[in-house]
Amino acid sequence: MIKVKSLDKINNSNQPFVIYKTKNGFDLYTDFSKKIILNNKNIYRFLNTEYRLKKKYKKTDLLIGFFGYEILNNLIGVKLPKQNNINFPKGIFYKPETIITLKEHLFYNSNNSHKVFKKFKININRNSYKKIFDNFKKKIRSGQTYQIKICTKYKNKSKIDPLDFFCKLTRSNLAPEAFMIKDKNFSIISCSPENLITKKNLSISTKPIAGTLRKTKNMNKKKALIFFRNNLKETKEHNMIVDMERNDLSRVCEPGTVKIKKEKSVEEYKDLYHYVSLIKGKLRKEVKNIDIIKAMMPGGSVIGCPKISTLNLLNHQEKENRNIYTGSFGFIKYNGDMRFNIIIRSLLNYKNFSEISVASGVVIDSNANQEFNENFIKAKALIDLFK
Amino acid sequence: MIYVIDHKDSFTHNVIHQFSLFDKVECDDFSQINKSKLNKATTLVFSPGPGSPRDYPLSSKIYNQFKGKKRIIGICLGFQQILFNEGGKIIEQNKIYHGFQSQVFVNESSKLFSDGRKFKVGRYHSLKLDEPFNSKNFYITMRCDITNAAMSFENNVDKIYGFQFHPESFLTKNGNLLIKKILSA
Repeated sequence: MIKVKSLDKINNSNQPFVIYKTKNGFDLYTDFSKKIILNNKNIYRFLNTEYRLKKKYKKTDLLIGFFGYEILNNLIGVKLPKQNNINFPKGIFYKPETIITLKEHLFYNSNNSHKVFKKFKININRNSYKKIFDNFKKKIRSGQTYQIKICTKYKNKSKIDPLDFFCKLTRSNLAPEAFMIKDKNFSIISCSPENLITKKNLSISTKPIAGTLRKTKNMNKKKALIFFRNNLKETKEHNMIVDMERNDLSRVCEPGTVKIKKEKSVEEYKDLYHYVSLIKGKLRKEVKNIDIIKAMMPGGSVIGCPKISTLNLLNHQEKENRNIYTGSFGFIKYNGDMRFNIIIRSLLNYKNFSEISVASGVVIDSNANQEFNENFIKAKALIDLFK
Repeated sequence: MIYVIDHKDSFTHNVIHQFSLFDKVECDDFSQINKSKLNKATTLVFSPGPGSPRDYPLSSKIYNQFKGKKRIIGICLGFQQILFNEGGKIIEQNKIYHGFQSQVFVNESSKLFSDGRKFKVGRYHSLKLDEPFNSKNFYITMRCDITNAAMSFENNVDKIYGFQFHPESFLTKNGNLLIKKILSA
């Protein structure tokens, strides 16, 4: 593996590349020999392909990319009504021929800084947000959903240097599932904290996050745990996600093997604390990757519960396609192992339009104003990159 | 064989795994019920799910067809589904319990569990049984320690059982034991 200190050369070569957070740094994937643009037809062939041919696999024997929100809905039989659509691909995967290991501290000299042609605008204002919120609360009262996430989107017209943004973002928020994609006509940068699938041989795990707390001077990990434990609303939301993820793993795992390995613990990041659980299981032998993807995606913690009826409520409410938001990014190795995150805290730049989507949850005791503000806080870290 | 009738819930597979500890389990969506599995099953389970019993006439039909002929178990929505078909009124609650752990107690009507026992359970329900409720051979056997809402019933004549809470939730202590007892009753 080649170790590089400077990313300038790769970035300036104008070749598409992908960067994904690893435990101690980042992996950069490039020299793509294949690019698969997914649609509702080829996704089945894509997911059913069995690569178990060779005895020895190279590190580059994998496909890396993302599934957008819409294709994941379609995969589990949920149709989207007509929405405003920028016709961004429903999913793209790349076959890399080179992987470069990078250190945690990314260093890069940006020479073309971003340009903003039109300022950020939100697609739902506070009043319409409140209306949607009240409508969903009624649906909770009548039992159609127990928890639902309202998505708002910030858009501007801009030209960005994605690598510059990604380096900045990793300095302010080094998230365990951070990634970026730079391709000819689009780029994605994300500081996703949430792992949805880690699959190795027959073992599989998921690590849902429900509950986020900003770091302040007087806060520490112990106090954060006390805060979450004493906060009934956060606790209930988290419980619901834990049972839901246990359920989704149970779809593909041996009965009796799905276990909560870490129950409601606190993880510390640079700027915040997350309330996290870790659930593991042992896959049934006949289960294929397509079954796992259909069981787990789109990730429950960013949708609400129960999944199908909540997706239907959401989709009929939302006027704009979510594109990548709440889809999944990651890789499928030729030996069948997988790692996928949930695409949140992300920025998509396509044809010189940037969009940042955020969502926060409605449960019976949430407050519309508070949630609307929380959405803005979540978007702010990404909006601030344009400063 | 146990046949689980799924109301498109995100907890149904937890139910399946729990019942799998005791017998072979089959599961299908409520709208795609397999007749031969339905006839073969010794126990029918009505799963949790969104909405109210009124939304699932197909499940009501199955219940009325097999009442007294097979062991029938209802969980959450399934619990309400059974009571609804027994003339019960299912209404919205003032306080809603989603992801809530609360304490229930067993009363003297229970034949399977000891009177006065208390334990913690996980709840996910917007609706509840309106009371008073009366139906032949049906007894409310567990209640919420705080609100007194009906949490479980037994009909030991027809072998029909139900839980308003979720025995399969990680929030329920001894959930497996509850299921074991009603399956061997």
